[in-house]
Amino acid sequence: MLEAFNFRVILEYMPLYLQCFLATLWLSALSLLGALLVGIIACTMRLSKSRVVSSISGVYIESIRSTPLLAQLYFFYFGLPSIGIMLPEWVTGVFALTLNSGAYYAEIVRSGIQAIPSGQIEAGIASGLNYFQRMRYIILPQALGMTIRPMLGQAIVLVKDSSLLSLISIMELTRAGQLLTSDRFMPAEGFLTTAAFYLIIYYMLKGFSSWSEKRLIFREAH
Amino acid sequence: MWGFYFNELIRSLPFFIKGLWMTVAVSGLSLIMGTIIGFIWGILRASRNKILRSLIGAWVDLIRGTPFLVQVFIVFFILPGIGIELEAFPAAVIALTNLAACFICEIVAGGILAVSSGQREAATASGLSAYQQLRHIILPQAMRTILPPLVGQYVLLVKDSSVVSAIGVVDVTRVGWLTVQRIPEGIMVFGLVGILYFIVCYPLINLSNILERRMTVGATRL
Amino acid sequence: MISFKNVNKWFGDLHVLNNIDLEVEKGEVVVVCGPSGSGKSTLIRCINRLEPIQEGELIVDGMKVHDKKTNMTQIRAEIGFVFQSFNLYPHMTALDNITIAPIKVRNIKKAEAEKLGKQILARVGLGDKSKAYPTQLSGGQQQRVAIARGLCMRPKMMLFDEPTSALDPEMIGEVLDVMVDLAKEGMTMIVVTHEMGFAREVAKRVVFMDEGQIIEVAPPKEFFTNPKSERSKIFLNAIL
Repeated sequence: MLEAFNFRVILEYMPLYLQCFLATLWLSALSLLGALLVGIIACTMRLSKSRVVSSISGVYIESIRSTPLLAQLYFFYFGLPSIGIMLPEWVTGVFALTLNSGAYYAEIVRSGIQAIPSGQIEAGIASGLNYFQRMRYIILPQALGMTIRPMLGQAIVLVKDSSLLSLISIMELTRAGQLLTSDRFMPAEGFLTTAAFYLIIYYMLKGFSSWSEKRLIFREAH
Repeated sequence: MWGFYFNELIRSLPFFIKGLWMTVAVSGLSLIMGTIIGFIWGILRASRNKILRSLIGAWVDLIRGTPFLVQVFIVFFILPGIGIELEAFPAAVIALTNLAACFICEIVAGGILAVSSGQREAATASGLSAYQQLRHIILPQAMRTILPPLVGQYVLLVKDSSVVSAIGVVDVTRVGWLTVQRIPEGIMVFGLVGILYFIVCYPLINLSNILERRMTVGATRL
Repeated sequence: MISFKNVNKWFGDLHVLNNIDLEVEKGEVVVVCGPSGSGKSTLIRCINRLEPIQEGELIVDGMKVHDKKTNMTQIRAEIGFVFQSFNLYPHMTALDNITIAPIKVRNIKKAEAEKLGKQILARVGLGDKSKAYPTQLSGGQQQRVAIARGLCMRPKMMLFDEPTSALDPEMIGEVLDVMVDLAKEGMTMIVVTHEMGFAREVAKRVVFMDEGQIIEVAPPKEFFTNPKSERSKIFLNAIL
């Protein structure tokens, strides 16, 4: 089969692939930012002393974690129009990705916070710092620093999850592969090229993860 | 109108149950085979043989670096090109088994390597062969580290199984997708899909949490 | 300045503070000692409401700590608390560690706070360590930074919860020296400790606790040479 691997077709479709590569990056980046925000908020809510606030967040996180992303995506894609909210597909896609990864980020941040020795929090209380001050200056900086690796791990997951957006007709990397396959009956060229592009993003993120960890460890010990 | 659709949904319940059964079948088969293969790969990955370690490591990296949807497409569309004709169900199981095996491989390898080398030395000193060491000393202890993430991985795989709906496997997600064409109430239909996945996943998540708590300690006050 | 009246506290079924009556005056140095589990740490942790009390009255600097409605921020700003395990913030330099509360709670400008902070660090013998991170400091140095952190708020009193118990023996001296200086300058201090040398040198009174109750209160000389209660005698025999 490899002899028949048609590089010329890939070159022909390269502009499309590059466009879709950018689309994937763009969609992922947007969702990532949203997810981080949602995650920090959901986590703070989850750790709140108010049972109501904590439960709302808890229901959100558990629902997301117990159901597949694809079902969530379809839920919004088909569900929002049925209650009169018409959104462009990419907005629905980013929304679903944000909500999904947000729940996982909430758990990651929570584990980071819970890893901080309670003694430091007591020291903060004893000096008169209020809840928000403790969060902002003592807890979150350390929690976020400690959880860089799982955070980047979830970022990688998010990029891969973005492939599902192809199923609601969004033009991104996987869709490019689908197009090449359906246009020219060349699934190998189509999807292997797609896979290659994803691997580029994967290795870039992995590299960034190692680099940032080295920088952080260096900072902690010195 | 809403009431009408609700009744229609109730009447489609058997269809959903069939879909749930399909989800369980695909996931179950893949989990069982994936666990067996994953353990074998994991043991090899934790071995001293550099070539084996790198080979398996490279394959695992490829699978972890690309979206599962793309992998499913590759298995379904490309394998026929090299002579393996596949229907949707077998293709789905192959792709999911491979995914399972790769992630389980990493979990198992991690667990084995976590068993202190001192134990290995003691076992070697008393004359136990590599196989005996593995079977009586290393694996039993490694299982403590392996079990919680293993169960967690099962949950992820059940959720990932939803992706195979994209190649036509009639699992719960696909039933939802087909149903929503007739009953355009996305929230109801995919709400039901979500509930069905929740029923399968939530107990597994709880099991994983309980197992994890048994292996760690912690307390927080914010 | 600090007044316990009939204070009772339970952890579930465990009666950790049993009818505590204690008055501490301004400028007094009080040492609290006793076997482990006696409730001595709990006692001082109640003063700044790190632990709440269930019964009785606890008045600190004129404010009712036992009243749930009382806002603790002002009170805590006047109390410097030093923990057994230092509890410094690892992601901040020594200077940042001690200035964050003055800046955020007392709303002092950063430049002013840093000037004060450097003075106080010099006072505890760590003038050259303002830019150091806690992980770069020895245990004794960390604890001195912790004391500086308390002092930087210019508090009316300092509370110490077994400040030297987590230190290697050779570092205990440097911390006690700082505490002795503080005492001689007239700071109101309550110190939970086993360091009887410190008590003898600067404490006005020694409070001996056992099983949640205050057994004996006496000036150090009297307590060490002529303990009145049986339990005090047993304790002193064990540690001296």
